[in-house]
Amino acid sequence: MAKEIRQIAIYGKGGIGKSTTTQNLTAGLVERGSKVMVVGCDPKADSTRLLLGGLAQKTVLDTLRDAGEDIELEDILKEGFQGTRCVESGGPEPGVGCAGRGIITSIGLLERLGAYTDDLDYVFYDVLGDVVCGGFAMPIREGKAKEIYIVASGEMMALYAANNISKGIARYARQGGVRLGGIICNSRNVDRERELVAAFAKELGTQLIHFVPRDNEVQRAEIRKKTVIEHNSKAKQADEYRELARKIEENTSFVIPKPLTQERLEEILVEYGLLDGLEDQYSI
Amino acid sequence: MAKTQTKSGTIVHPHYGCTVGAAYSVAAIKNAVPIANCGPGCMYKQFFLLSFDNGFQGSAGAGGGNVPSANVGENDIVFGGEKKLDDLIKSSLAVLKGDLFVVLTGCSGELIGDNVESVVRKYQEQGFPVIAAQTGGFKGTNLTGHEIVIEAIINQFVGDYDGEKEQGLVNLWFDVPYFHQNWRGDYLEIVRILRASGLKVNVLFGAQSGGVEEWKQIPKAQFNLVISPWVGVKTAKLLERKYHQPFLHIPEIPIGEEATTAFIRKVVEFAGIDKAKSEAFIKEESDLYYYFLEHFAEFFSEYWFGLPSQFAVVGDSAYTLAYTKYLASQIGMIPVAQIITDNPPERYRESIREHFHNLAEGVSVEPEFIEDGYQVEQKLKETDFGSGIPLILGTTWESDVVAEKGGLLIEVGPPTTEEVTINKTYIGYRGAFTLLERIYSAAVGGK
Repeated sequence: MAKEIRQIAIYGKGGIGKSTTTQNLTAGLVERGSKVMVVGCDPKADSTRLLLGGLAQKTVLDTLRDAGEDIELEDILKEGFQGTRCVESGGPEPGVGCAGRGIITSIGLLERLGAYTDDLDYVFYDVLGDVVCGGFAMPIREGKAKEIYIVASGEMMALYAANNISKGIARYARQGGVRLGGIICNSRNVDRERELVAAFAKELGTQLIHFVPRDNEVQRAEIRKKTVIEHNSKAKQADEYRELARKIEENTSFVIPKPLTQERLEEILVEYGLLDGLEDQYSI
Repeated sequence: MAKTQTKSGTIVHPHYGCTVGAAYSVAAIKNAVPIANCGPGCMYKQFFLLSFDNGFQGSAGAGGGNVPSANVGENDIVFGGEKKLDDLIKSSLAVLKGDLFVVLTGCSGELIGDNVESVVRKYQEQGFPVIAAQTGGFKGTNLTGHEIVIEAIINQFVGDYDGEKEQGLVNLWFDVPYFHQNWRGDYLEIVRILRASGLKVNVLFGAQSGGVEEWKQIPKAQFNLVISPWVGVKTAKLLERKYHQPFLHIPEIPIGEEATTAFIRKVVEFAGIDKAKSEAFIKEESDLYYYFLEHFAEFFSEYWFGLPSQFAVVGDSAYTLAYTKYLASQIGMIPVAQIITDNPPERYRESIREHFHNLAEGVSVEPEFIEDGYQVEQKLKETDFGSGIPLILGTTWESDVVAEKGGLLIEVGPPTTEEVTINKTYIGYRGAFTLLERIYSAAVGGK
């Protein structure tokens, strides 16, 4: 029997570092001998830049628009870092059309063209921002990603977004097999960040699977259009992504999240001192 | 207590089109062209339910089965459908003659937020009479759409007006074209009555209307006349705000002498015009009416082989009320199931009920609001029509259950596949007898 491909969706607030984390994590998994496909589900089409060494990819939707239905897999799938398969769904120009429908269209096309081959170990869906509508929930619907990781930080809005995404996951978990595998903290150097995100994860019923510290090495690699592992294999940050890859490979904790109420979320924020600074400055 | 059954999980056999079906309201305006900005199949569905399978009403020019459509596809949804619509408008302007082009955007364009107004504005700036109506099918029925389209035409085409009003000129807001299968004949009869009573009429839809130019005269009218329990009230309120025109709302479409005479007196009173003309007309028409009724009465009282005495109506608010009122109060038939299928807004329902409660002295019936065709059938199955032949004024959807009950079905609403309509009316002074002829021909012929 063919082994099952682990299909994983990465969600998180816009700008939190989903694409960066996904690609660096992918490099870590590839190093461990895994075969990975990354499907960018963001109209900006920048989910595979570090793996491909630049924005070398014509998106599925652009190809569809120019060539019509007559498309071959090689038109939309490019090989990147050590054989990683890269696809960008793409989308309409900002402000027109329906990006959500675009994701549905391109994932449907990938399936029809046979992109999901048995030799794959992982497929990552790097999904823009929030689960704003049915289209952006496409990767977690039945038959697609069964595992989700949310990238967050100790910043308030990142946790709001993560909580909101959890609501979307809980909804689809009841219908299909999708589960939350954990929170990846992409550190912003906020006070007591690790404790806060760990507490938040615990409250959701999941785990803080890994705390990725803030390191300029990531920016240096990005400027060179590379993952940290490819750019500077010996860097401490490269080991962080290797560790994340190991933890994800070995992860067995998959849960239906229990989203927090607004009040509870704010309580946790207060508890872990987001508001401490304010009180410190309070003087008459 | 009245039962309201509008929220069943599914609706089979709907008795209305969707919002974008208002394309047929546009088609009913002389020299106006609907342009459908929706998926392939949308117009086809609307055409069949509202026009073809609704008395085979037929059309001329751009209407009927010839509505230009963008046939929005997947690419247009993902990338936006503005380019395709732009091409369609350009082509429509090139090949179709028209004085007004109305773009009706359906579900897909409305959901993804296509900026149709900006596409249309380009043509407006070049002097082409093109406007846009937001008629996403999910907004409701073709009745909702009818008022959306009228509002769009008034706001984008008729425009502002601050001049004089013309005494005795009335805007007529009445049957919804195509949806009401006898609309062409109904307008003829109502316009005949209003004109003979001394009024000038902006007919707006159909044979006697002055087409698009007449729509430009809307702001000059002394008042608006709405003849329907609810459709058109929104339009009248818009015109009241926009042009400071008062409106007269008459929920009951008049059928027969008594109702039509009362209708005329109400309108003439509101208009404040001289009553001599209308009273002379009433006298003349009443004499004719009773001449015919007297002769009909001989058949009615002497026919011994069974005539229907208990009846049901399945239809929209306007005609369920009009037919029920006439047959119950003037012919003495007993209403046993009055089923309203057009989902009128909640705020009008109480007043609609009131009209059914006061059909005539001592004659009252509780209407039911049911949209789902299956529930309509169930209701008719359960209804006891006594020992006589059940008479059902309804639609083709009810034909099976009527056959089961051995009843007579007179098709009066969409869909209607066993009537061909050219110029027929069941309303006013003259149409009342056509209705009686239709019912009693069926009764004596057994079909």
